[in-house]
Amino acid sequence: MEMTVQKNKKGAILRNQIRTFFAKPQNVILLLFGIVLTFSTIAPIVAIVRDTFSIHPGTIDQHLTGQTTGYSVVNYTDLFTSRMAATNLWKPLLNTVLLSVLTCLISIVYGGLFAFLVTRSNMRFKRYLSAIFIFPYIMPQWTLAVVWQHMFNSNAVTGTADGLLTALFAVHMPKWFVLGLFPSAMVLGLHYAPFSYILIGGIFKNMDANLEEAATILDTPKWKIMFRITLPMVKPAILSTILLVFGSAMGSYPVPHYLNLTTLSTKYISMNSKYTGEASILAIIMMVFGVLILGLNQSSLMGRANYTTVTGKSGQLSKINLGRAGKWVIGVIYIILTFFTSIWPILLFALETFLPNPGDYSFLYTHDLSNLTTKWWITNENITENGMYGQQGILYNPTIWHAFRGTLFLAIMCALIAGTIGTLIGYAVSKNRRSRWANYVNNIAFLPYLMPSLAVGAAFFILFSNRYVNLFNTYTLLIIAGVVKYIPFASRNSLNSMLQLSNEIEEAAIIQDIPWIKRMTKIIIPIQKSSIISGFTLPFMTCLRELSLFLLLCTQGFILSTTLDYFDEMGLYAFSSAINLILIMTILIFNTIVNILTGASLDSGIGG
Amino acid sequence: MKKRILSVLLTAAMSVSLMAGCGSNNAGGEAPASAPTSGGTESAQEESTSGAATESAAPAQAENLTGVDAIIAEAEGMTLDELAAKAIEESNSQTFYGIGNSSRGKTALPLFISYLQTIDPNYNMEFEWQQPKNNKIFEQLTADSLKDSGTFSMTLIQDGNQIQTKMIDTEILKTFIPKDWADANGTTPDAYEGFLPLQTLNKVFMFNNTGDAKFTNCWDFVYDGQHPLYMDIDSELVGKNFLYMLTEDKYADMLKEAYDALDDEKKAYFDPIVAELQTDASDFGLGENGAYALAWIKLWVENYNAQTDDGPICNTLVDASATDQSALIVYSKLRSVEESATVSVNNVTVAAYQDDYVGIGGYGYNHYLFLTKNSPLPWTACAFIAYLTCTEDGFSAWGKDMGGYSSNPEVATATETTYQHQKGGYNDAGEDEFPAKDDRGYDWWTTEGELVLEDPQYCADAAFGVGSWIETLTKYADAAAE
Repeated sequence: MEMTVQKNKKGAILRNQIRTFFAKPQNVILLLFGIVLTFSTIAPIVAIVRDTFSIHPGTIDQHLTGQTTGYSVVNYTDLFTSRMAATNLWKPLLNTVLLSVLTCLISIVYGGLFAFLVTRSNMRFKRYLSAIFIFPYIMPQWTLAVVWQHMFNSNAVTGTADGLLTALFAVHMPKWFVLGLFPSAMVLGLHYAPFSYILIGGIFKNMDANLEEAATILDTPKWKIMFRITLPMVKPAILSTILLVFGSAMGSYPVPHYLNLTTLSTKYISMNSKYTGEASILAIIMMVFGVLILGLNQSSLMGRANYTTVTGKSGQLSKINLGRAGKWVIGVIYIILTFFTSIWPILLFALETFLPNPGDYSFLYTHDLSNLTTKWWITNENITENGMYGQQGILYNPTIWHAFRGTLFLAIMCALIAGTIGTLIGYAVSKNRRSRWANYVNNIAFLPYLMPSLAVGAAFFILFSNRYVNLFNTYTLLIIAGVVKYIPFASRNSLNSMLQLSNEIEEAAIIQDIPWIKRMTKIIIPIQKSSIISGFTLPFMTCLRELSLFLLLCTQGFILSTTLDYFDEMGLYAFSSAINLILIMTILIFNTIVNILTGASLDSGIGG
Repeated sequence: MKKRILSVLLTAAMSVSLMAGCGSNNAGGEAPASAPTSGGTESAQEESTSGAATESAAPAQAENLTGVDAIIAEAEGMTLDELAAKAIEESNSQTFYGIGNSSRGKTALPLFISYLQTIDPNYNMEFEWQQPKNNKIFEQLTADSLKDSGTFSMTLIQDGNQIQTKMIDTEILKTFIPKDWADANGTTPDAYEGFLPLQTLNKVFMFNNTGDAKFTNCWDFVYDGQHPLYMDIDSELVGKNFLYMLTEDKYADMLKEAYDALDDEKKAYFDPIVAELQTDASDFGLGENGAYALAWIKLWVENYNAQTDDGPICNTLVDASATDQSALIVYSKLRSVEESATVSVNNVTVAAYQDDYVGIGGYGYNHYLFLTKNSPLPWTACAFIAYLTCTEDGFSAWGKDMGGYSSNPEVATATETTYQHQKGGYNDAGEDEFPAKDDRGYDWWTTEGELVLEDPQYCADAAFGVGSWIETLTKYADAAAE
């Protein structure tokens, strides 16, 4: 009898615990998304690991095992021990690591210095520079690589037609400058510099200047203040930049592809036909780097106290005086620099759409404007050859506009879904900070971002190409991959902003019995509107021009980035340049609309 | 702790996959078809179009066949009009999915629908044509083959080597030989062995002629200091097939003949390389001139300047500033050059068109047509394939351009009559303004032009012999980046 009562009691307690657990929305969110994200992150990894053991007909594993089906470890032994190991694995791995490190370095130095000048000095033209500085991030990364080629190629060095610099000034840049590691790192570094500008700028902007002022009063040399006080304070932001940029650079396929650098990504593509299983091992190696970076991220989270310290506002803004001339000179230098990284590519894109042949700048050499044409825009048939490779003009080209609609749909869906899920996860994690499960959900949501895009794309391709489900070339697959990959944008933004919110605000509403939905929509979201909106706009913008992630998941006319890449590879630069312009305009229009409606923008709160 | 959880999850994932490895079979793992035999050699045209033999040595009895095989067997006895009637019955108001390496399939499908509408004005069909990149066509077809009823009804596909090993040996694709096509080629569907080619495309040697460089021998392209522009062989695999084919006796002999025509200075440059590769040639079981083929391949791989596509190469080569550069690219790219102050087709010379040129003039590869083994609209696919290969209209999506030759001699003749590619460089006044665009045609290229032709089976056999050896060579692009 007593036993029964005890059992009933235990049962009631358990039921109560369960009821209490589910009464908290954050617990439901964490449980639900913990399960979903575990599947969406782990399942592709499992699929690609399995692929490394599978025997693929017509590839090296069939040749070495003599079997057409089944499983074997031969892909591992061949990749790591054959005489091709240096070519297929070690050299690309070294190049990949060098590229990632250099990219981090360039983006941090260039973006960080700019952030410092914008936030902590009296440099001129801040508002303009702040807006223009993020342009390279808006543009698809390889388009800068194409611009680089157009500028610096030369018959004497690269064995091609002369680029602009050679044609106009007879300057021949050395090979290391035009091909390989250096230009790849430069292009990626410039592309990701806005990342470090936004992250480091955010810290600089909110940094307590008391420590620096104290040091100044104590007559500490300026270099010492910089290295002993300022830089240590922005260390977390630098680390964050490294975390985000390293994985992205590692997974970049198009930039090294165009600039002739063999990395794990380019090797994955080139090996995929004959060494399919071994290529999957390369994807796993890239993923391992993602996991390692997650470990680093853990350390940065441990140091979160640093963030709290530096985000406390002192109410004083100490700005370095660059001098009467200095503030203008440095401003002008940055105007020139950003002209070449942000404006010049756009001008070249626009110009390219009026050249008679791709890269044919005859009008510059001859000073004859009749060497320009509008055919790339207004040709409305594809019967007359007209030098257009059977394509209709940009305004009438069904492939481009179909891809544009598809891209908009994809980007909006990814932004809405990833933004919503990420925001909820950020909220829930902030509420259960000390829970291990919350930390697990937080990490598992962040992991895909740290995995190279190409590897994630490859994993999703393998996962969803089977007997039961074949989602290749469907928006469903692209949305799934995009959402999983971009949730971290929103979850990190949301988490960081929610951590700044005192629990008392929501607790006051709870006491008044206000439902959770109302608390979210009327209190929490409005307070942290700016950060949350960034969690939606970043996935939208990134999705619009993402290639590496979607490269393996759809055909070329399906979305704009794959169409752009197709035209670039084909050498039809007028079309690819026009698509670039369309993308840039789209992003700017959306950014402006969001700015007008909500007051938030990508560089908001830093510049000007 | 979090790291530990992740580690456990990853280990579990690895374990699951390892346990899955204990299984013995997968869905696509049926036994390969019967052993392939060699292609036919009756005529120059047929030789080029034969491809690898893929069907059983003894033709299967039609009554024992099921599904798509049975439909193909029946369809091979029907004319285009009869197939069209079947297609109308099968696919009216349906959606037809095709997949191919050429985007022109999308242009050809509306013409096919118009043709069917001449028979039944009420007929209509939606269609979608996909053109995957980066070799994904093989993975996509493989994935689609796992379903009971596939998405794709047919494919237009290149790279005989991969088709043989990944698509035919695994029975993912099925060959259908239209009766009308066989008639035009003087054979029958039963007697014909090999893949069905839609067309042969040629990549030809060209050079920028604004300087003094001379390319009068195919060895000139691999001589000291030359870096011809070429699509990377890991990016476009038919480029690798070209290299494999050079080791076949016929083409190795051509290379030796060209070598014999060189002057002593150039011979002295090549001799040590040929001598060094004699052992490798013998190890690979190549013929007596195999070492010459290997020497040419080695020099080519170690010196070609890799580019992303033939389009950019063409754009480069026709520019006046690309003095003395050379290339091996798809001939038809010349059609899209717009004349300007610095760009002109006349800035390039097609090497083989020079009177004193000796040696191979380029490489010919095929676009092949197949049904998928689980084709959802097999009759329509058969009719479409017959339409493409047996009518001028069907081939017009490709035929309007130079450098692509229909495998059907009747269609090829009609196409030439309509489009006059042999006078492609003539202006309205009847003057030969752009001689490089005067396409001399399939027969010329495969005889005097010494075009190297793809043989899928030979390529498949060479892929892990000569092919693996090629991969050990250091490409110019890799050496340059170091």
